[in-house]
Amino acid sequence: MALEDNIRIIVEQVLAEMAAGNSRPGPAPAVAAEAPPAADADDLAKIDLQRYLQVPSPVNRPLYEEMKLATPARIGVWRCGSRPLTDTWLRFRADHAVAQDSVLGEVPEELPAKYDMVAVKTMCADKDEYLTRPDLGRKLDAEGLAAIRERCRKGAAVQVIVADGLSSKAVEANIANLLPAMLQGLESMGIQTGTTVFVRHARVAVMDVIGEELKPEAAIILIGERPGLGTAESMSAYMGYNPRIGMVESERTVVSNIHKGGMPAAEAGAHLATILKKILDAKASGVNI
Amino acid sequence: MGTELTLVSVGIDIGTTTTQVVLSRLTLVNVMPGSQVPRIEIVNKSVLFLGDVHFTPLQGRSRVDGEALRRIVAGEYAAAGVTPADIDTGAIIITGEAAKKDNAADIIHALAEYAGDFVVATAGPDLESRIAGKGSGAEDLSRTLRLRVANLDIGGGTSNIALFDRGCCLGTACVNVGGRLFEVDPLTRRLAYIAPPARLVADALGRQEGRGLFPAPTADEELARIKRCLAWMVRCVDRVLFGERLDCDEQPLVMSRDLPAGPPEAVVFSGGVARYIYQPGQKEWWVHGDVGPLLAEVYRESRAYRTLKVLQGRETLHATVIGAGAHTVNVSGSTVTVSRHALPLRNVPAVYPERLPGGYFTWRPAARAFDPALYRTVALVVPPLPDTDFTTITALAGDLAAELADIPGAPKVVVAQQDIAKVLGQCLRRHLKDGELVCLDGVPLRAGDFLDIARPLPHEEAVPVIVKTLVFAR
Repeated sequence: MALEDNIRIIVEQVLAEMAAGNSRPGPAPAVAAEAPPAADADDLAKIDLQRYLQVPSPVNRPLYEEMKLATPARIGVWRCGSRPLTDTWLRFRADHAVAQDSVLGEVPEELPAKYDMVAVKTMCADKDEYLTRPDLGRKLDAEGLAAIRERCRKGAAVQVIVADGLSSKAVEANIANLLPAMLQGLESMGIQTGTTVFVRHARVAVMDVIGEELKPEAAIILIGERPGLGTAESMSAYMGYNPRIGMVESERTVVSNIHKGGMPAAEAGAHLATILKKILDAKASGVNI
Repeated sequence: MGTELTLVSVGIDIGTTTTQVVLSRLTLVNVMPGSQVPRIEIVNKSVLFLGDVHFTPLQGRSRVDGEALRRIVAGEYAAAGVTPADIDTGAIIITGEAAKKDNAADIIHALAEYAGDFVVATAGPDLESRIAGKGSGAEDLSRTLRLRVANLDIGGGTSNIALFDRGCCLGTACVNVGGRLFEVDPLTRRLAYIAPPARLVADALGRQEGRGLFPAPTADEELARIKRCLAWMVRCVDRVLFGERLDCDEQPLVMSRDLPAGPPEAVVFSGGVARYIYQPGQKEWWVHGDVGPLLAEVYRESRAYRTLKVLQGRETLHATVIGAGAHTVNVSGSTVTVSRHALPLRNVPAVYPERLPGGYFTWRPAARAFDPALYRTVALVVPPLPDTDFTTITALAGDLAAELADIPGAPKVVVAQQDIAKVLGQCLRRHLKDGELVCLDGVPLRAGDFLDIARPLPHEEAVPVIVKTLVFAR
């Protein structure tokens, strides 16, 4: 009872003070006026975190700068009491939102046609099902299977597959540079590629189903990685010799971290072409190579 | 888990006074996790064999005795139990006075053929200063202590300054101040020879005093006058180190001077003379037949010693030779394009392009400065591009191929300053057809650098590269 009384007293005091405050140009109306977010508010996501020095007066500024530049991790962010500063917290949430958008977003409808890809989808009806049913993300729907049978060349040396995976942004950001570099590399080594397939709502192992249908010597799937807070545009490439249903994960060779801050997409494309050559020469992939 | 690679690197330091051979083992490891593109780094450098310190064999005063030198190197190889075939890489550094001798160039080339497949012939005070600073540990100290550290490598003929700021070399300087510029007879303890730089100093002091300094009437007087010369020389080094103006008498002593403004916070001494700076009290100053210990005494009175924090590196006496063996090698990026039989290459000049309006580059004018009769090929440096898009790179490859056709030399060498060497090489290959091509990245280059490129590492594409920065004294 005593506690409730105390609270009541405090609330009454505050209300009284506010009433008193209203009689003169106090802070309350001013705050109310600022409350709606200004249109020209700075976009926190635009700040380069590695160059953003939040410690007010660092003892050794050059060292602080050097440490910040050494890692994309959120270090040296300063604090308010025991909490991070507001903008640190907001930026964290903004980056998290970008990651979520990348997972939940869709690759534009027109993208596959731009690169002469045959567009198909897995048995997942939508993103929610994709996220909750990994098994369905590894199988093509009936329409997709039919499209592949009808429109794709069988028995190529390398079958290229592009998939959204967990980041639609990775596909948009990297394919334009990665794919032509890789295809040019393969072509210059005299390696025939099949019809490129784009799969929506796909997991890595969708490669096995497509391999079973098209019987290429090797397959490569370029797939968006689960985004982190550092970048949402990172892509991985999984490669398998003799892709087929039932192949095990250790048979896949992987190159990850393809994005602007990691390996640039065009360079990765050329690198992947060399790896595919190695796989074809060794007639093996993954740990068998 | 990445597999470990080891390279045996040889360093041969032919100085004014002494010659020494050191063998180092460099351990290279792929530091990236399995699913990522490999990145090869040198993770460990250890000294396998530290040869004896020999006097540099001379014929007369101006010629290095090539044959005797060859015997010394052969003897050291035998002592270490290695043959030239065991050596993977390395550098020969001819330094100080020896580099100025008439036949230095012939000697290093003769020795390079002997000393291993791609041991490198190198000279130049700038590189020597840098290497000494790395070998002495001054570079590491500047990194770990977060300080601006000057390394002062004092040998027989020169004092080499290298300034490191938090692990980066900011500049170098080379002054003709060394322990063997005055030679003495160890028996009579009297002056036997005055090298030309010391003669300059003696003459300058003589003009001030209105009489010739040498010969001096008595032994004591001679010693006092030598000390006055040394003090004058060390003052000159201080002035270079602290970025002050030089008298016109002092200028001829300074061979190169490229130090940024602002004094260092700490100093590390290395080289033969430095031993006596850290361990003073050598009463028998004449033991080496020169004035090294006296110069050390004078250095202890220098402004550098008195006003800066004096640190000692992990290596004092052997800084240059260890630096030559272990610290000259870089490793290129792992995704590069290399024609199989194009390597090794030696002494390839780095050519920076001119920027034309519209963002285009041209290498032709700069490449013309290098006579095709003297250089097998040149390395065209591709500065950082605004983006690494495939279209940007194909356009660049087209421009490059057109320029390469007009620039003599084979193989064609291109060094990108971004991670694009694989795709750029692939695009270039389409233009160049069968021509041999070496396209690298991951090696920072500046205009005026020269490259030695070794064969690719086993099972990897990365290649060891030695970058030699030669700043010629004007």
